[in-house]
Amino acid sequence: MAAMFGILAACGVNNVTVTGTYPTPNVGKLPLKIAVYYDEALRDFSYIEYTETGKEEFDIHSGQSHIDLFNAILPGMFEQIVIVDSMEEAKGTGVDAVFAPAIEEFQLALPYKTKLDMFEVWIKYNMRLLTADGEYIADWVATSYGKTPTETFRSNEAGINEAAFSALRDLGSSFSLNFARVPEVRDWLASR
Amino acid sequence: MYNYNYKVKSGVTGTGIAVLFTVALASCTTTTIDEFRQGETGIESHESIVILGRRQASNYETREDFVNCVGEHVNQGENGINVVPEQEFVDALFPWFEPRTAPLRTQDLERLMAESVVAEKLDEFGIRYIVWVDGFTETTGRTGSISCAIGPGGGGCFGFGTWEDDSRFDARVWDVDALTSVGTIRADATGQSYMPALVIPIPLIARVEANACSSLANQLKQFVRGS
Repeated sequence: MAAMFGILAACGVNNVTVTGTYPTPNVGKLPLKIAVYYDEALRDFSYIEYTETGKEEFDIHSGQSHIDLFNAILPGMFEQIVIVDSMEEAKGTGVDAVFAPAIEEFQLALPYKTKLDMFEVWIKYNMRLLTADGEYIADWVATSYGKTPTETFRSNEAGINEAAFSALRDLGSSFSLNFARVPEVRDWLASR
Repeated sequence: MYNYNYKVKSGVTGTGIAVLFTVALASCTTTTIDEFRQGETGIESHESIVILGRRQASNYETREDFVNCVGEHVNQGENGINVVPEQEFVDALFPWFEPRTAPLRTQDLERLMAESVVAEKLDEFGIRYIVWVDGFTETTGRTGSISCAIGPGGGGCFGFGTWEDDSRFDARVWDVDALTSVGTIRADATGQSYMPALVIPIPLIARVEANACSSLANQLKQFVRGS
């Protein structure tokens, strides 16, 4: 087994691009026009998992999948969504607020390292809600978790993708249910 | 409240003695079904059920394949019941039935039904019962060894391996109209698998999970129909 992983590691880094389709949430829409800004760090986000000897083992690209997730859930949460390429672009759109998500941390647990029959992914986010002029409305931390059991004939790449997909789906569910419960967001909504 | 318990020992016939012995070994599975009824049940032809896997536990996850297997068995046959596929239901009800947000008790379901979007969707699907399947299959007692070698003249394996599989699954049935739990069915299946290798390995696999699936589904069908 160790020899097999040694051979794999010697072959170089394995690229994993997280893919999946996300459902639109069935929640009451808030009467808001929201601009969404995906910065370069989120769009190009990737995480590198290293072997115990410090070699690059997996390069996991999840930026596009995060964009796909937010593009699926936000139209179900708000009356109108405008995607902007910069914070400056949001100024002229007449939006109520600008939403800018950021990934702070990504962790991966592989079954042959943890000795558990699970692929697990944890992701920590910094969610920011700003006015069109870039002023602070709310700034909060969200975490998500996804796991998938090991299966015969399933590759490590497929297991990682499945666990990451579950984590993103978990983010989508908690974000869509808890957005209006974030204290600063709740106060901002009440003040409108 | 009623509690039923029965055991099923599966057996298969074959033509030759060797085949019979082999298949008999391979099909050596014991399945025990327990039924615990807490309320009356019954279902109309226009009503449906949904079978969902519990995925809250940290150390295991109810496999989607098993849940789909139970759903297919419940849906088939002359007394088949309409089953809404798990993924279709969970996607349509997103984000209310995700691992972190799904109701764990019937009181939670009552709160969930207060959400008009949830109640409307359940009504649209015609859901009468929600069945929560929770469990996993564990492999224990792995013994023996098989060695394989390859050379210029060919290759082959020699040896013997054996292991035991144990499947334990619970199916809790919630009545969506009454917002109560109406019962639980438990399936426990065990079986020994063998892998003799004489030049080529011959897997004689006990179909433990498949037997747990079919037994649980048959009992669930009868339970929901109230027969």
